[in-house]
Amino acid sequence: MIAQSRALALERATLAPGHSEPHARVPMTTANPLSGRVFEAIGRNQPFTPETHAALASEELVLEIERFDLWYGKSRALHAISMAVPRGKVTAMIGPSGCGKSTLLRSVNRMNDLIDSVRIAGEMRLNGDPIYAPGQDVIELRKRIGMVFQKPNPFPMSIFENVIYPLRIDGERDKHVLAGVCESSLRGAGLWDEVKDRLNDSALRLSGGQQQRLCIARAISAEPEVLLLDEPCSALDPIATGRIEDLIEELKGNYSILMVTHNMQQAARTSDYTAFMYLGRLVEYGPTDDIFLQPHLKETEDYISGRFG
Amino acid sequence: MSPTTTTEASAERKLARRRGAGQRRTSLFAHGEPLVWLTGGALALAVVMILGLLLLVLRQGLPTFWPSEVVQVSTVAGGVHAGEVADVDVYRPEAHVLDALPEAVAARARASLAERDGLSERRMLRTGNYELTGTHYTWVSDFELAEETRPEWILVVERLENGRFYGTPRSIAVQGTTTEGDAQLVWDQFERHHDAARERWQVKRELETVEIGEVNRLIEAARLELREVELAHGVDSEPWRAAQRELEQRTHSAEAEFQRLRREIDALTEAGRGSTLTLVSADGASTTLALEEIVRAYPANRLSTAERIGVYLSRLAEFLFDEPREANSEGGVFPAMFGTVLMTLIMAVLVVPFGVLAALYLREYAKPGAVVSAVRIAINNLAGVPSIVFGVFGLGFFCYIVGANVDELLFSAKLPTPTYGKGGLMWASLTLALLTLPVVIVPTEEALSAVPRSMREGSFACGATKWQTIWRIVLPRALPGIMTGMILALARGAGEVAPLMLVGAVKLAPELPLDTHWPFLHPERSFMHLGFHIYDLGFQSQNSEAAKPMVYTTTLLLIGIVVALNVLAIWIRARLRRRFQGSQL
Repeated sequence: MIAQSRALALERATLAPGHSEPHARVPMTTANPLSGRVFEAIGRNQPFTPETHAALASEELVLEIERFDLWYGKSRALHAISMAVPRGKVTAMIGPSGCGKSTLLRSVNRMNDLIDSVRIAGEMRLNGDPIYAPGQDVIELRKRIGMVFQKPNPFPMSIFENVIYPLRIDGERDKHVLAGVCESSLRGAGLWDEVKDRLNDSALRLSGGQQQRLCIARAISAEPEVLLLDEPCSALDPIATGRIEDLIEELKGNYSILMVTHNMQQAARTSDYTAFMYLGRLVEYGPTDDIFLQPHLKETEDYISGRFG
Repeated sequence: MSPTTTTEASAERKLARRRGAGQRRTSLFAHGEPLVWLTGGALALAVVMILGLLLLVLRQGLPTFWPSEVVQVSTVAGGVHAGEVADVDVYRPEAHVLDALPEAVAARARASLAERDGLSERRMLRTGNYELTGTHYTWVSDFELAEETRPEWILVVERLENGRFYGTPRSIAVQGTTTEGDAQLVWDQFERHHDAARERWQVKRELETVEIGEVNRLIEAARLELREVELAHGVDSEPWRAAQRELEQRTHSAEAEFQRLRREIDALTEAGRGSTLTLVSADGASTTLALEEIVRAYPANRLSTAERIGVYLSRLAEFLFDEPREANSEGGVFPAMFGTVLMTLIMAVLVVPFGVLAALYLREYAKPGAVVSAVRIAINNLAGVPSIVFGVFGLGFFCYIVGANVDELLFSAKLPTPTYGKGGLMWASLTLALLTLPVVIVPTEEALSAVPRSMREGSFACGATKWQTIWRIVLPRALPGIMTGMILALARGAGEVAPLMLVGAVKLAPELPLDTHWPFLHPERSFMHLGFHIYDLGFQSQNSEAAKPMVYTTTLLLIGIVVALNVLAIWIRARLRRRFQGSQL
């Protein structure tokens, strides 16, 4: 029901002719005095406090990001991001290209370590454990975090081997354990019925959508504490996209999901919380309903209704 | 002007432009058609050259074993020659050649020459009968020809020594009973008894080489033991005396065994002595040949096509599976073929892991920078170093330094005879491995860098370490590319000759580097190689005319082996590619 009304509101907002007056129809419960001048402040590089909704305070958290900065060489990609990701919920990150959503996502499992020029400041905590603490074992950390990428990236091996890859590299040899995990992960990713008879076929022969669900199965096979999805549907057709979205809906509750998306409808349909980012800053963060129906900041509303970006 | 008329005007201009396209306004070069011809022509030229090469080799190499007819010619000067036509040529005879002819004939010859502007055709006959004439070939010019026949019963006899013999059978003696006269009868007798004689010869040879070789090996082993004891404990020490007694004992028993073998061999020789074939050559000289020394004989002018094919196949089989004889210009090339394949495979086994490891470090671990670039440039340049330089390096480093030290340490008893301190299979393979290293590294690096970043990231995100990612994701994915490197290395290595001449390829190797004696593979042994064999046939042979067709046939075989090795590797690569690189999104 909620998702439906949300989608309706979105439709109204995005389909409305560009010249009409939006304020008349979307009620603004704005209390933030910066509303309307946020981009100006960002442009002048003034510090500002992101608008974080009160509803988040009551959530149990899986991931805490605290004043996180990141530089690629000399250019700064993230500006003091503070964000709390609730447990068992889907949190979407939206924002125009280059706003740092993917960078932030990749900072969670320290994938940015692979790039030499990256420097960071600030801290992130996964269930209380500092991610960037000196001496933190990155390999062990990554095993606690699942990640699905923009482009499906199955490995050049069989479907079975793909799914149990995280267990293989952990040295698990027990065939029963492996087979069990493979089945439950593939069921979890809604792929079991399609591939159960050809688990030993090359994963590369699957269709794009199946490959992406396989990647999800691989990501959840190690029972991660948080699942990172980096635009998981951007390379897929609408039908495959729909299946992935249904899957995200099903995974909700069992897994804490942090996803990046360019697709506003997708964020509206699948997520519980939405964060809007702009030029490396977190602008507004709150329950998806509030963000889409009654954002606190005019900038958020403008972005969601497609007036820029 | 209203917006509508603007649009109309521009549409008109566009139309006008398109109409103009009917005439040629762009220049010929802008169209690029001459370039199509240029590029296509270059490709066509390359293809023609390669096809030409293959055709030449096929044309020259394939007929080598074909038993052609034997012609018998008598010249006006009174000579009679019988043989196979090996070559046809047109030349301008010198005046003194004509002057030497009898007056009547010379006039006729001059007349026929004048008709053809002083040119005459001549044929080179393979006349054989080396022990009678001192030559294998004779040129016969058309103008000196008196009579040409194709005698029905002339035999082509291939034998162990002195090349072929061309002659008519007169008599055959088998175990003392002689059949004489009618050629058909003699030939029947020959066919009936030849195989048995050859078999006896084979047995004798087996005894001479294998059995006596075994006895010698035993004595040699005991001698080496004594020498080892001597090196360890000194002469006249207690263990030395024990070893000395042991050696004497073994030499004694070996001597008895040797005598037994000798008697067996003598008996076989005696048995063979009575079996001979007597032939009369075209000029009437008669020669008696031992049956067991005749490898093959056939009445060349009586053969049906099927029988000719039979002779062809029998010669081909001999070529492929037998050892060479007559200074390599006759017989087979099996040891050379074996050596080539074995050396190439050992080289591949050495170079591929080595090259892949080096490429892995360069691409995956080394921090890109000046040093890595310099190393990469150096590796690429290594591919351009003349191969003989590698040969010199192999000889100087592997044979004389490494090999000599190995000998010091492990084979000191055999010194001063070198074991590893000379050219051998191992050093040849290593030298070629070094030579082909860049050929493996470059494609491997390319294959590694072609592995999509997304796959590596996916693996890292699963919590894999760098090595796990390389081992489980990157290497399997890059395997087809690595195979490409291996294919190139095989092709390069199998065809290389120059460095091998320095590090172990020999004209004639008495033993194969792989046999039934522990440790089966003998990497220290010298070996034969097809490439070197070709060089040896073509330029070192005493009987170079007879060797010439063999050069082409051996070339053909070498090409065939390289192609076969490549096809095998390409097939494996195709399989791997299907497995590791399916449809990628």
